[in-house]
Amino acid sequence: MHFTLEEHTLPNGLRVVVQPDDTTPTVTVNLWVGVGSRHEEAGRTGFAHLFEHLMFQGSANVDNGEHFQALMGVGGRLNATTWFDRTNYFETIPSGALELALWLEADRHANLLAAVNQANLDNQRDVVKEEKRQRYDNQPYGQALSTVYATIFPKGHPYHHPTIGSMEDLDAASVQDVHDFFTTHYAPDNTVMAIVGDVTAERAFALVEQYFGHITHKAAPRRGPVAPLPPLTEPVRVEVVDEVPNDRIHLAFRLPAEGGDTRRDFLAASMALDCLGGLSFSPLEQHLVLDEQVANSIDVGAMGFVDGVSLGLVVADVAEGVDTDELEEQICAELTAFADEGPTPEQMEAVRAQAERGWLSALAAKDERADIIGHYTCLHDDPEYINTFLYRLAEITPDDVRAAADRWLRPQSRAAVVYRAADEQEEVA
Amino acid sequence: MSDTSMSDTGASTASVQPRPEVRAPGEWNFPQPRELVLPNGIRALVHDVPGQYVISVRATVPVALRHEPREIEGVAWIMARLLDEGTRTHSQRELSELLERRGVAIGAGMSEAALGVDMDVPQRNLEEALALLTECLSEPVFAETEVARLTRTRLAEIEQERASAGRRALKEWAKTYYDASSRASRPGSGTPDTVAAITRQAVVDFHAEHVHPEGATVVVAGDLTGVDVDALLAGSLGAWTTSGRTASVEPAPAPRAADAARVVLVDRPGSVQSEILIGSPGPDRRVDSGWAPFPILGYVIGGAPNARIDEVLREDKGYTYGIRAGFRPRQIGSAFTVSGSVRADSTVDSLRLLTQILGEVGTGLTEQETRAGVDFMTLTAPGRYDTADAIADETSGLAGDNLPLTFTSDVIAAMRELTPADLDAAWREHVSQERTIIVVGDAQLYRDEVESLGLGPVTVVPN
Repeated sequence: MHFTLEEHTLPNGLRVVVQPDDTTPTVTVNLWVGVGSRHEEAGRTGFAHLFEHLMFQGSANVDNGEHFQALMGVGGRLNATTWFDRTNYFETIPSGALELALWLEADRHANLLAAVNQANLDNQRDVVKEEKRQRYDNQPYGQALSTVYATIFPKGHPYHHPTIGSMEDLDAASVQDVHDFFTTHYAPDNTVMAIVGDVTAERAFALVEQYFGHITHKAAPRRGPVAPLPPLTEPVRVEVVDEVPNDRIHLAFRLPAEGGDTRRDFLAASMALDCLGGLSFSPLEQHLVLDEQVANSIDVGAMGFVDGVSLGLVVADVAEGVDTDELEEQICAELTAFADEGPTPEQMEAVRAQAERGWLSALAAKDERADIIGHYTCLHDDPEYINTFLYRLAEITPDDVRAAADRWLRPQSRAAVVYRAADEQEEVA
Repeated sequence: MSDTSMSDTGASTASVQPRPEVRAPGEWNFPQPRELVLPNGIRALVHDVPGQYVISVRATVPVALRHEPREIEGVAWIMARLLDEGTRTHSQRELSELLERRGVAIGAGMSEAALGVDMDVPQRNLEEALALLTECLSEPVFAETEVARLTRTRLAEIEQERASAGRRALKEWAKTYYDASSRASRPGSGTPDTVAAITRQAVVDFHAEHVHPEGATVVVAGDLTGVDVDALLAGSLGAWTTSGRTASVEPAPAPRAADAARVVLVDRPGSVQSEILIGSPGPDRRVDSGWAPFPILGYVIGGAPNARIDEVLREDKGYTYGIRAGFRPRQIGSAFTVSGSVRADSTVDSLRLLTQILGEVGTGLTEQETRAGVDFMTLTAPGRYDTADAIADETSGLAGDNLPLTFTSDVIAAMRELTPADLDAAWREHVSQERTIIVVGDAQLYRDEVESLGLGPVTVVPN
């Protein structure tokens, strides 16, 4: 399996990657802007995401709400997301609506500020607050990850605060902030556009030139990545007593940044986590969930970031009647054993096989394929990643995995965020 | 300061292009599978989808939740989830290792009247995966220790669901809306009492009694170049036999409670939001007048940021991140539901606005709304069904509900012809205005005011 990619950078700096695929009469347009919550300043957390909402509230030639209406009305499915490292805007439309999609995107990416006003800022601030309440404040364990970020990354670090930000900072956001943010970050030379689907590369480049070529605005110079963070040298922990159904242990680890010199190390660390807990016969799952039944579930995962560090997680939902501290010790013992001994050949084979299926499934859909192309072009300057990932994965040896676990996943390097269920008395009080 | 910024963008605006026209899309139909009957009578539906290298397999076996013994409800779900946790040929450990080393993802669950087993696998491992899938269905052992673990996990999950406002609302809604005699009034995967009563023998018995090839369907979708899929199916699922017969899963009604039209407030002191769930009776997909109007109505009322509800509650008032409306069809009948969470102090106004918006649907939809809904639903179809898993899911859903395989295409064709008058008639004739309303939140903040809205009798229950 190989995807043909064509690449072209406009004179204004907009980088375009096209992956023609005419198997169905649809096309995905996905713009990755190189700004996320890691670029936010103190007192302005949550702003990158709030700004993303304003991108749907109209621009010079598009009315409030019209972006959604116009694209959905011609068969488009669209949205946008904000994360630590970036913000993306995307739509999948029938091929005949490609030009309209590009025109709408160009208008907001060039001329947003003409439409921003206090009323739509206030409205979307309210909407974002409800998003925060719905997804974080009104969910059991909803603050767990935010607490993890604040615990494992030092104050002032780009990943110390969550993308959703704080209510106080959202309140403080002004129309002037919107103008400054747009001027600093939103420009062709800080944007990658992936186009995947029923269009030739030649036509796609011509259309992008036609609709985006006139934009001359430049983003402020990008700062370099912050200095790499080493693993924690001793454990840190936060205990949270809350009205949750049962105790839950979150063990977080700094991992190497995904990209640059440490890309291979990140991949090895990510595989180490999958070997440890991502398979039904992984030691954490086999011993603690299946055999001893001291955890209801154990989930593992790696989040790749670009600013000098990534994040690894082991999350255990503690079974009824089990001592939470003892379970944490058992998990730590498994981490130590794995860091000493490394993976088995069967674990390596299964992790590769599962990763392969997951990767092929992701690439099967045009929208996800475009998103992956945008991701690796914008953050890693590597559009061909979709064609090389499985080879890179195959190159990671059992010894690489053991070495990554040894360096990054030892118990002394953990940040523990432990939720304890408030007992009945405390609930009443 | 803002003038400076504005002038930057003003320069860009000068060279903006005229708004492009949209080229009309070509005809599209949902892909029709090749149909064959396996040696044991299983219906097989095969979609060859070039370029889709992960093959999606969906097996459905007719098993109805209403067949569960009342005192051990949840046994069907436990049975489903244990299918891939050990067979006579492979222990739990051997089986899961084999599946994962071959890149197989497998999962099973229950719907109203079907056991569904989903499997995704890279094409080159399809043969082995089909053999393992067959083993899971035909010879699971349900080891004592696995049953104990899963019932215990299930009990913990029930607590997790109680803590989730959305799940809590759904549970209370079903309990309020359906008659207590109906299986639909109780959680599909059981209550703490019934789950705790499930023994290994009960799981073994339920499987032996209800899981048979008779009436089963298997869907295979993906790039099948060079794969003799007929032979693979015949040699795997097609060779599965049992001595039992499938119990009838003919459509059965789920009657509403006599007092369904009321308001229940699930009390969660201190809640920062209120989760609202409003549901009223609607038609199922076999409705005489055709199914086409109903997805359109759902979209126009609450399927987009510019739909009637979010235009007011989100974009004007800022009460919510988003509220969604739509029909949830069962074998017989459906529920038209409106659900989402709102800021706690806007609960009363949100309920007032929602019932007002729903009431106004009866006074008619505009030509523009109709067109927007029809265009969205019909024109997004090619993109919604362009992967093997989406095609397999849709085909399996149709087959499992005994609908014709042309249903999806037929509905889309019918949608294109809809007028505002058709939508009005569909709403008037098939969607009841009697509403069962659940709110999960801090009841004392709004109880009295909700009563004065006159939406029906109000009761407060603990979380």
